[in-house]
This record gives sequence, structure tokens and C-alpha cells, in this order.
Amino acid sequence: MTDKSGRVVRIQRTFDAPAEDVFDAWTSPEVIQRWFHCGPDWETPEAEVDLRVGGNVRVVMRKPDGTEVQAQGRYTVIDRPHRLVMTWTFDDDPSNEQLIDLSFSESEGSTTVLMVNRNISTDERRDAQDAGWHGCLNELERMVAG
Amino acid sequence: MANDMFSALAHPLRREIVERLSGGPATVGEVTRDFSVSKPTISRHLRMLEEAGVVSRVIVGRTHRLALRPEALAEASDWIETQRERWERLFDTVGEYLVQQRERR
Repeated sequence: MTDKSGRVVRIQRTFDAPAEDVFDAWTSPEVIQRWFHCGPDWETPEAEVDLRVGGNVRVVMRKPDGTEVQAQGRYTVIDRPHRLVMTWTFDDDPSNEQLIDLSFSESEGSTTVLMVNRNISTDERRDAQDAGWHGCLNELERMVAG
Repeated sequence: MANDMFSALAHPLRREIVERLSGGPATVGEVTRDFSVSKPTISRHLRMLEEAGVVSRVIVGRTHRLALRPEALAEASDWIETQRERWERLFDTVGEYLVQQRERR
């Protein structure tokens, strides 16, 4: 959280599988579909993955009352099985375009994935203002806690 | 709301104000002491913090007292936590999928 690019979420996890398999799982429409399927009576009528630079990834979910929600992104870096970068925007927060940067490193048959998720609009604002964030969120948490 | 909050904090001078107020309420003069910028500039930064709900201002006579609004900061912190949970769930889904793939083979 001390990364100067600000609103950063970092998650790292190791999967017991080779890098190719882990990479393919991240780009599988099935995974994206399941991830978004957040209730037993929800439907996921559409999940599309166009795996090429500039290609879109998109998922549409339908709630029991028929309303649809969706999320989508665009691949910007595809380097199988080492790195995958895409933009991502949740339909419920359309002004908040995020960047998901995944790095895959395999060691003895296991693959560690590091995801760095940050907010694009904040980065652009930061560049415009030439103001770093330097531990801002730590400060925030400290104050909330204190 | 979270966006206002984050843009309010996206400036070193405003973060300095918030840090100084984290010790407790203070007057505008106390909070902006030794800032080498003009009064209108300080007013503009304070207004942004107030509009984002980060700082409250109470005027008593000629004294303007500023205080942090911890609930606004808590909201920003909740937002971060929600994002994290979403992405953690994606990692869980990938893990489950990989296990099923292996079982299929």
C-alpha cells in the first residue's frame, strides 16, 4: 500500500500448476463467468474473451429480476505464460477504469501470480498534478485506526 | 464518494493539512502555518477538503476551526477493502478451476 501509484491492491498467490495452465485459467471465459456469478439464481448469459492485444473481455450477468450488470476490459499486454495486463471497469462504477497487471513465475511446478490492481483515473490525475502518493493510504489507515 | 475522497487527498499540501489535523481540531492559522503559498490558494485547498467531506469547519466569531471527519476516511478505507475482496474471490475461482482441470485429465 505504500506504492506511490496510490490506490493499489496487491494480491499474490501460489497455485499448484504450471505457468501455462495458470495463465490459461486467467484468460478462460469460464473463470470470468464463475467469478461474476455471485448468486445461485443469477445467470451469466455472456462472457467473451478476445485474447489479443486490444481485444475485449466482457461479462454480462442477469439478476433474478432481469436487470443486467456487466464489466469489461481490454487486453494491453499478452505474454503467455509470463505476463498479462488488462484494463477493467465494473459496470457499477463506470468512471473508475482500473488496470490489472498479472505476473506469473513458475518454480518447481508451482506458479506464483502477483496481481497489481490500480486505478487508471487516479494515475492520470497524479501525472497531471505531479503529486506522488507516498504512503497516503497508510496514513489514511493509521488515522482511521487511531 | 470514494473518488472525491481520493482526489481530495491527491495533493501534497492537502495531505499535509490532513496530517496536521490528525492530532486533533485546529484553527486555519495553526493548520496552514509556514505554508509558502498564498491565502487564496490555501482557501481553495481547504474548500476541496471540505467538499469531499474530509474536513469540517466550525466558525466561532472570527475563528475558523477545522476538524477531520473520520467517517469519510473510514468510507475510503471500506472502498479499498471491497476491491480487495473482489480480487481475492477471482483468485479463489482460478484456484478451483485449476483443481477441476486437473481432475478432468
